[in-house]
Amino acid sequence: MKRRALEYVLPGDVTAPRLRAGLATDFDLEAEPSKVVDRAYFDTFDGLVRQADMSLVWENGRLQLMNGDGREVACLSWPNAPTVVRASDLPSGALRERLAPVIAVRAATALVRVRVRQRVVRVLDAERKTVACVVIAQPSIVVGDRARRRLTPRLTVTGVQGYAKALGRVRDLVEHRLGLSGAGESLRDEAVARAGGIPGGMSSALEVALQPRQRVDHAAVAILSQLIAAIEANLPGTLADVDSEFLHDLRVAVRRTRSLQRELGGAFPQADLARFRAEFRWLQEITGPARDLDVYLLDFEAFAASLAAPQRFDLEPLRALLSERRRRERRRMARALRSQHTHTLLAEWKRLVETLPELPDDDRPDAAGPIVDLAGGRIAAVYRQMLRRGARIDDQSPPVALHDLRKKGKELRYLLEFFGGLFPKATVDPTVKALKSLQDTLGRFQDREVQAMMLRSLAQETAGRQNGAAALMAMGVLVERLTDQQAQARAEFARRFASFADRRRRTAMRETFA
Amino acid sequence: MSTVLATYNIKGGVGKTSAAVNLAYLAALDGARTLLWDLDPQGGSTYLLRIKPKIKGGADKLVRGKRRVDALIKGTDFDRLDLLPADFSYRHMDLALDGTKKPTQRLARVLAPLAHEYEYIFLDCPPSISLVSESVFEAADVLLVPLVPATLSSRTFDQLRRVVRADDHAPLVLGFVSMVDRRKRLHREVTEALAAAPDVLSTAIPTSSDIERMGLYRTVVDRSAPRGRAAGAYRALWQEVRDRLSAAA
Ligand SMILES: Nc1ncnc2c1ncn2[C@@H]1O[C@H](COP(=O)(O)OP(=O)(O)OP(=O)(O)O)[C@@H](O)[C@H]1O
Ligand SMILES: [Mg+2]
Repeated sequence: MKRRALEYVLPGDVTAPRLRAGLATDFDLEAEPSKVVDRAYFDTFDGLVRQADMSLVWENGRLQLMNGDGREVACLSWPNAPTVVRASDLPSGALRERLAPVIAVRAATALVRVRVRQRVVRVLDAERKTVACVVIAQPSIVVGDRARRRLTPRLTVTGVQGYAKALGRVRDLVEHRLGLSGAGESLRDEAVARAGGIPGGMSSALEVALQPRQRVDHAAVAILSQLIAAIEANLPGTLADVDSEFLHDLRVAVRRTRSLQRELGGAFPQADLARFRAEFRWLQEITGPARDLDVYLLDFEAFAASLAAPQRFDLEPLRALLSERRRRERRRMARALRSQHTHTLLAEWKRLVETLPELPDDDRPDAAGPIVDLAGGRIAAVYRQMLRRGARIDDQSPPVALHDLRKKGKELRYLLEFFGGLFPKATVDPTVKALKSLQDTLGRFQDREVQAMMLRSLAQETAGRQNGAAALMAMGVLVERLTDQQAQARAEFARRFASFADRRRRTAMRETFA
Repeated sequence: MSTVLATYNIKGGVGKTSAAVNLAYLAALDGARTLLWDLDPQGGSTYLLRIKPKIKGGADKLVRGKRRVDALIKGTDFDRLDLLPADFSYRHMDLALDGTKKPTQRLARVLAPLAHEYEYIFLDCPPSISLVSESVFEAADVLLVPLVPATLSSRTFDQLRRVVRADDHAPLVLGFVSMVDRRKRLHREVTEALAAAPDVLSTAIPTSSDIERMGLYRTVVDRSAPRGRAAGAYRALWQEVRDRLSAAA
């Protein structure tokens, strides 16, 4: 049974004594002395904790993970409020166990701090056992060390497990006898919004609602402005290295931008297009090595875990080496991203996108046509190219043939993300699914190869380090395993491709997009 | 995964319930989600926590897995401490277990779905040796055995060590001396002799009116008399148990 923490707006004329009088006819009450608590709310940039219907709160020297109904799931003693919480930094125990699946590799940062002057009134049964709690709270936002902005005074009712009936009665009294109405948003959300944040976090999903007859350049602007916003939103977190997803999401936005530049190239002035295609390729390149090392380090845990216990620790010199490289690449990338060049290119790209619809059409051949025609044609064409490339792949084909197919697959994937909504779901959805599982296999095939190459390329340097010989042997085992996994992915390929290319889908794709 | 600790002794009135309630409270106070299951039909811990000694469906439904155990759990007045209450039908728990397949595994099965909910699960056992206690031995990671300072105690403890060790998944057996009156020479001597064994903890729980009065105040000694000797002794005992647990891990 799922219950929400019940929060009500507390009008100015409902005072604590009046409240107590309202409840006291039905219950014994015990009011605790009023006190002031400092609290900080945490979440990831994309709001994963809130999405899981939980909250992560620091209060009174404890970091607590709470359920949607306001009950604690796990906690950890934590004397001073942290600024960042990462699952991998937590000591093993309940909090880590519960938080890790929710936030994964993301860092939860402090969104807002509040100071609450509050009074807890316990609702007791005949045995003087607490069966519910009513909290009267006067919250404000804390800036620096001071309580600054007052938030809506609230009354919160929380239940005690196993006493649902009592909770129902308290709720009834609060709503009907005292006439309080439910708070539209939780204290957390109100505080985050008042502090200038987005309560639900910043979504990395693309949300495009295009009209089929919309001009191509208008459609391009609709999508590209979202991508610009995503780049801007993820840049600070990338530079501060809050967690690896900022860089990842930044790169996805850059890649999507490049894909649109290519697919809708005819909507842009050609000289500008050529320049920005080069600039965005550069952005992609300067962020590549840092991302690769992020991935290696993320994979490292899985690598290490796949080894038997003693060898697992042998890999430490490799981890140290990867971390050093990562730091170096991060520094290099940060320099490039902070440069005037990047600043200017993003500003000018933004200006171009904003003004695109007003520019003359003469060297923008595709600008005015309906998006549905251009998009449909591109989807049909890329699908056909994939069919052709895929059909040529057999057990003897070189790896590069599979890599090329994967690249085309990415192109199709983006096209469907951008424009899939313009076409019937009945064709789009199953194709996206088949494409995903094909790309998954191709991705694994390529990743394992890249990882094995990476290990080989680090062999010499690792060997020269302390305990390098043992690390080298463990790396040998890993390379062998990666090669096996790559072979497995290759063996899967035929089946995945067959489903992607089956006759019914080919017919449906032709009819839908051509 | 939760750690299951059972307060157990074949003898009655030795301080099992007092230890279970006070230690479970301290575990929760430390920040661990903690459950106490009152297995005694007399419902001593349930009473101390002011909760009704009743569960829907009784022992029978529970051990047969016919009830979702989480729906029977009650929150106590203390943060993070929950109770699975006693029920009068627990007096027939032996029979209920006997009617199931693999009866000695039943209690562990009942607790299995809670393994990720709670860090510690305490079992407050009735005084007996029966199918229930065998089932407790299988479910528990640790048996906490209160030993009163009487000459027979070391023999009873010895018997228990033997019974438990015969088992496959033998829990860690840890004795502690309970209800010691330091003014009595016999108590001092027997306590010293008992505590010499490596599996007997060095903290002894003194005879204390704070503990006796728990039945009156219906709360833990850490709340009613936090500065008293009894409260200090339970804190030291809990610290010792935790140390032993991390040493065993
Ligand atoms: N250290 C102590 N000092 C004084 N009184 C104590 C102490 N420990 C327990 N008592 C009292 O002795 C009685 C029995 O204690 P408790 O219920 O803890 O033992 P038990 O082993 O659980 O008993 P049972 O076998 O009946 O379940 C209670 O009245 C309790 O208050
Ligand atoms: Mg008892």
